[in-house]
Amino acid sequence: MDTDVIAGHVRMCAACPKMCRHVCPTFFAWKSDSPTPHSRALLIHQDIIGTRNLDERAIEVIYQCLECSHCLTWCKPEIDIAEIVEQKRTELVKEGRYPRKLEEMRKNISDFHNPYGEKDNARIQWNSSNEKAKGKKVFYFAGCTASYREQTIAKETVSSLGNLGFQVVVDETEQCCGSPLFRTGFTDDALRKAEFNTRLLNETDCESIIVTCPGCYRALTRDYPKHGLEINKPIQHISEFLSERLESLPAKQMQGSFTYHDPCHLGRHLGVYDAPRSVLNRIFVADLIEMERHGDNATCCGNGAGLRTLFSEQAHEIGAERVKQALRTGADYLITACPFCKNMLDSESDGQITVLDLSEIIGLAMRSKD
Amino acid sequence: MDSKKKREIAELMGEIVGSENVSIHETDMVLNSVDAWPLSEAKIRAGEMLPLADIVVFPNSTEEVSEILKIANKHKIPLVPVGGGAGTCGGTLPIYGGIQLDLKRMDKILEIDHESLTVRAQAGIIGIDLDEDVLRHGYITGHTPTSLRASNLGGFIATRSGGSMSSLYGKIEDLTLGLQVVLPNGTIIELKAVPRHSVGPDLKQLFIGSEGTLGIITEATLRLFKIPEKRSFRSMCFKDVKSGLAAIREIFHSSINPSIVRLYDSEDTAMAMSNHFDIDEGDCMLLLAFDGRKDEVDLDERDSSEICLKHGARDYGEGPSERWWNHRYDMYYPTKYTTAGFSIGDTIDIVATYDKLENVYWAMKEAMEAHDVVVMSHFSHMYPNGGSIYMIFFLSAPDAESAWEKYKLVWDDGISACHREGGIMSHQHGVGLSRSNYNEGEWGPAFDVLRQIKRMLDPNGIMNPGKMGFGGEF
Repeated sequence: MDTDVIAGHVRMCAACPKMCRHVCPTFFAWKSDSPTPHSRALLIHQDIIGTRNLDERAIEVIYQCLECSHCLTWCKPEIDIAEIVEQKRTELVKEGRYPRKLEEMRKNISDFHNPYGEKDNARIQWNSSNEKAKGKKVFYFAGCTASYREQTIAKETVSSLGNLGFQVVVDETEQCCGSPLFRTGFTDDALRKAEFNTRLLNETDCESIIVTCPGCYRALTRDYPKHGLEINKPIQHISEFLSERLESLPAKQMQGSFTYHDPCHLGRHLGVYDAPRSVLNRIFVADLIEMERHGDNATCCGNGAGLRTLFSEQAHEIGAERVKQALRTGADYLITACPFCKNMLDSESDGQITVLDLSEIIGLAMRSKD
Repeated sequence: MDSKKKREIAELMGEIVGSENVSIHETDMVLNSVDAWPLSEAKIRAGEMLPLADIVVFPNSTEEVSEILKIANKHKIPLVPVGGGAGTCGGTLPIYGGIQLDLKRMDKILEIDHESLTVRAQAGIIGIDLDEDVLRHGYITGHTPTSLRASNLGGFIATRSGGSMSSLYGKIEDLTLGLQVVLPNGTIIELKAVPRHSVGPDLKQLFIGSEGTLGIITEATLRLFKIPEKRSFRSMCFKDVKSGLAAIREIFHSSINPSIVRLYDSEDTAMAMSNHFDIDEGDCMLLLAFDGRKDEVDLDERDSSEICLKHGARDYGEGPSERWWNHRYDMYYPTKYTTAGFSIGDTIDIVATYDKLENVYWAMKEAMEAHDVVVMSHFSHMYPNGGSIYMIFFLSAPDAESAWEKYKLVWDDGISACHREGGIMSHQHGVGLSRSNYNEGEWGPAFDVLRQIKRMLDPNGIMNPGKMGFGGEF
């Protein structure tokens, strides 16, 4: 975003009577006016016009943001604080002024190509059925969370795509998409990953690329092209891919009631709201029960943009609140379409509701049909 | 406060609320001091700093509030209670520094009494959270200020606020049945929730509207209403303010209580309505809404419409009124127009009885327009005996100094005209800082009663000094 545009936007946002604050997850977690959209804008506004430079606490506040863009949904002047915060983080990283707690994540991605510090050659250990089917070849870019933390999602994705007649290619040299780095301001580090992945994906002979992680989806389709890195084949989130093949999915196989959590990257950032809903409404007997806050008004799970790394307690409070919102529907299942969201929501569910990713519930539906 | 004392007091506060809930970082002072006073907002845009507290503390219980007050009182430290930070009069600006006691952690709903139709909640709950929660149980609070997303229960009560449906449901002073208040010396008092009583003066009314100068509201019990069976909207356009006001009076005097009554003068009609509806230049739009049982609503709407038509109105159906309701928060957002350069838009929300109301309107309009500002107004929050006028003005100046100066002149002369014609200078926004200098004049000799109460309850003058006309001695 152009610096003059940013200056105009933060000037307006800093002096708004807080029309979006009530949906800001970090305001919910801290219950203070410090980590709120208008405060982020105020800090940047004062920095730009020279009233007051960012000090250490101000930088911490800039990093107390999930970049979930929920504030944008409620902003009539359409000021995108998440984008402005991210741009500011990039500047702070260049100046060497960022929370040192992010170093471990950065180093892990650099050394092991995933933020968890897991062995890079163990990336597709979950894959026992690679390339067993004979149909059209699709590349599954599994992402780090499904590869190392939520492996059922990866397994079920490959299995389901195989059942639908596709030959699924996975690659153990896949690297972190760079999303955690882009979101926290480490653009140069992110671009090193992006360059590698772009080469990998452009060289594959698959017809298209499937992702299950909306963070990866946003990185591959928005961040890479923004930096001149174009991937030469179609990329789809698994929900979109399946929604185009609804007739092939088992119909009305799943019993029980369900609600759906919109991941921020998939919903607000990429506009994918209908596809996962159409898939879920196909496989469940019952109709979707929406949470009060859904679609572009969905509350973030608390897991994004470095918040869990830097402020784990508050990130989990936000996740717990989202689970509470789901419990209010009375649903048996809380389904999402993001391994990262699933991981957080599941950790806060305390057995009160079954939390699954879309790929996992598709897998259950397919087996139930059999 | 020097840094040594600041650290000492912060440490004491930390022992009460936990060190993670106290801050002396200047950045936290900057971020937590921002209110919604248009002058504060204009100053922020212009790059000026607002007054800062020395310490901000976030208690989680009434007992913690009490302990904090005991320390502030003992050390004679100014203390400003802050709710949502959505006040429009500068009432929460810590102009003498000291402690900012922020109630946002005290945001729990404690009880919904389905038998009595009441809700008891902590003062820090944000208005829209309270609203959404009771709605899940089939109720409304009847309190819908434009600031609902940002303001909180304690702030509603402390500023004697009003919502857009106050004609039917009443203002917060009508909706509040019980209060818990912490006095400046730390004493916790309970004012029981009852519909009416006869055991002396109603003490809770002393604290409703006290703006943190007499104590801190920590809990309240509010009335609830079942979601009305029907809400209908109707819009009528009049040739002038006079005929519109005559129709409003006749509606109320026919024992009809609409939930919304808003009469826009020709300038405000042009600004707020003419982009969406075909309205003759100079016409004044009246927006009406009716809540209640279907048969009653239908009858009230029919009779009100007949009254309006009798006074020469053109019927615009439900359109403008319903559109306003669905977009009622939109005007609260900043726009490029309202924030350009050194501009300020503000409202003087006066109230008067019908015999004076139109005179107050014309007198204020003339006085304010004399300063070369744009003035547009609507009569809203109407009642059987009178109502409020939103005297809205926009000014722009080439530099900050002349903008702030013009702003003060508009206020001085607007308030003076209001008082001269028999109005009261605020219906729901409160006194805060913007009206503080006028408040003694507003009350006349009766202000001494208030001052003596203040001295008795807060002998050290620690509570929100510099507001409400009480001055400050720090």
